Amino acid sequence: MDDLNVKNQPALKQFVPTPPRPPRKSERGILGTIRHRCFNSIGNSLLTLCVATVLFYLVKHVLDWAVFNAVFIADNRRQCMDISPDGACWAGVISWFNGLIYGRFPVDEQWRVNIGVLLGLVWLLPLMSKRIALRNFILLSWIGLYPFVGAYLFLGGRFGEELGLVHGAMTCLALAFLTIIYANWILSVLGKKGLNELFVPLVSRLVERRIHLLSFVAVWLLVALVIALGLSQVSLEPVPIERWGGLFLTFIIAGFAITMAIPVGVILALGRRSKLPVIHWLSMTVIELVRSVPLITVLFMAVTLLPIFLPADMEFNKLTQVLVAVCLFAGAYMAENIRGGLQAIPKGQYEAAATLGLGYLHTMVLIILPQALRMMIPNIMTSFISLLKDTTLVSIIGLFDIMLMARNIANDKDWVGMHTEPLVMISVLFFILCYSMSQYSLNLEKRLKVDR
Amino acid sequence: MTTSSGNLAQKSVTETAIKIDNLNKWYGDHHVLKDVSLDISEGEIMVVCGPSGSGKSTLIRSLNHLEEYQEGVVSVFGQPLSRDRQSHKIIHQTMGMVFQNFNLFPHLTVLQNCTLGLTWLRKMSERDADKMVMRLLDRVGIAHLATRYPGQLSGGQQQRVAISRSLAMEPKIMLFDEPTSALDPEMVKEVLDVMIDLAKTGMTMVCVTHEMQFARQVADRVVFMADGEIIEVGPPEQVLVNPQWDRTREFLQHVL
Repeated sequence: MDDLNVKNQPALKQFVPTPPRPPRKSERGILGTIRHRCFNSIGNSLLTLCVATVLFYLVKHVLDWAVFNAVFIADNRRQCMDISPDGACWAGVISWFNGLIYGRFPVDEQWRVNIGVLLGLVWLLPLMSKRIALRNFILLSWIGLYPFVGAYLFLGGRFGEELGLVHGAMTCLALAFLTIIYANWILSVLGKKGLNELFVPLVSRLVERRIHLLSFVAVWLLVALVIALGLSQVSLEPVPIERWGGLFLTFIIAGFAITMAIPVGVILALGRRSKLPVIHWLSMTVIELVRSVPLITVLFMAVTLLPIFLPADMEFNKLTQVLVAVCLFAGAYMAENIRGGLQAIPKGQYEAAATLGLGYLHTMVLIILPQALRMMIPNIMTSFISLLKDTTLVSIIGLFDIMLMARNIANDKDWVGMHTEPLVMISVLFFILCYSMSQYSLNLEKRLKVDR
Repeated sequence: MTTSSGNLAQKSVTETAIKIDNLNKWYGDHHVLKDVSLDISEGEIMVVCGPSGSGKSTLIRSLNHLEEYQEGVVSVFGQPLSRDRQSHKIIHQTMGMVFQNFNLFPHLTVLQNCTLGLTWLRKMSERDADKMVMRLLDRVGIAHLATRYPGQLSGGQQQRVAISRSLAMEPKIMLFDEPTSALDPEMVKEVLDVMIDLAKTGMTMVCVTHEMQFARQVADRVVFMADGEIIEVGPPEQVLVNPQWDRTREFLQHVL
């Protein structure tokens, strides 16, 4: 075929693409950029100078107050004033630092808070490794099991007595799960089979189906039993919830709100899009009611109204009520975010899933929600950040979170009237937390965008 | 191709695959399908053509209940379909569909797109599903793209993935809803080649398409629709070369 064409037609000219050439570089180096951007005309030069002057004075005053004229070592506010009247008195913040972080948690027991928070982070660490199979289960286990470990560590008491046997059993299961995750991680690095495969030969003799699942359960229960035997010998000093506080409490409330926001939001969002009228109207009522009321009101309602509706013998502590309220509040906002994402999914995706034979649950979990959540990452992260900041409102109903602790400093007889420094310190702390969250979301977006 | 449902395999070869009986559909007051009746035999390649708005897509989408219809019956291998679970099962076990806009799942790789139904619905092991899908991808010439995401592929490649995704579920009937209309001209051929190959395997196919060349080459029968009605049905040489109706001739003059 090709030969024929060549013979019958006159020889064609051969096309050679023009070689690419690099673009012109007009501004090189930092100096060049500055000259080109900031001093390219008389007006711009003046503007640059003005802005630079203002910036210089601003930075200088802030640094003078916060660093150069500040007092870091003093016994009380009077001493601070004597040493340097127009500098910050960080000595007060430093002496109250422990309170800001742990609230009124007994000093001798604060290691439990450290370990608890550390365990929570350690649990999530394997998510970073690509070696581990079923990483989604780690996240689910964190949501479902970690709270038991946390509560056990923070509340204390004799194992299985103050908190009940069910709680004790869940704590052991949770710790066993964590052990298996790490054991599997180490074993997979060494190139060996996971711990959960230990009983496969034994189980495969007894049953024919679900061998791997049953083997995993057997190993899990065994490890949990060992941990239970160990824990039953330990007795932790009980710490009542009223003594929790500071940044620690803020983390608990915000962490709970953030982890529960997505599941609650997904359920509410799907409910609102449901074709069944009862579910649709119920979800819509919850969303609209909670969204159109300020968070403070929701908190007050949870603390004062909820006990009236519940049977008299059901008594919740203040923290539980607050957690329920914050969770509902976060969920209602998240529901609208997620609904936005759901609406952006083209109809063709539903149709393609339907022609493959996927049912409602499969379609949502495998096809629609992963795309909707991914699309909504910036909005979801914005909600998370505002949630973290909003949790400081619980100080109004008397939980000793970081905000109330900070205001308490001003009531301390040694540091009477010291408002500015603690608030500045909290601002810096929250900025660091929120900024790292927003950076993480940018990073997440970039990573997930690769596949588009 | 073998199928998992036993009662279908026992039937004879010349059996009717799809029987459409007096189908009527309205969008509000707009009558989009008017008394459409059609029999499609097993192994038959049926091409549906006609001007836009003639109800071709609605017809093909009614076959697997993506569109609801108000009157009439569609039967698949003798089983009349309704809205119950049993019908849904029959539809998903016998029919696959390829869309104009591919409708691949953008968050999954090519391989995951195709194995999704096998692992989650057929409960096939991941290794078996991968093996089977890789064979299919190889058949349509895109095995080397298995780990890519749909967004990284050309339109023609995406449509071939979509075809493999449907074939992975081992359907007895394939429905094509304008599979080449969203493609750049230079990519039409690669998709049509896959469809021609598929036709040679004896698959029952219903294609809504404007590719008259394809219709002439592989179709057993061509259906010409206009204004929600079937005007002509017959072998391609009859309908496309020697149409009996003025409406058909007018359409053919525009497309050919």
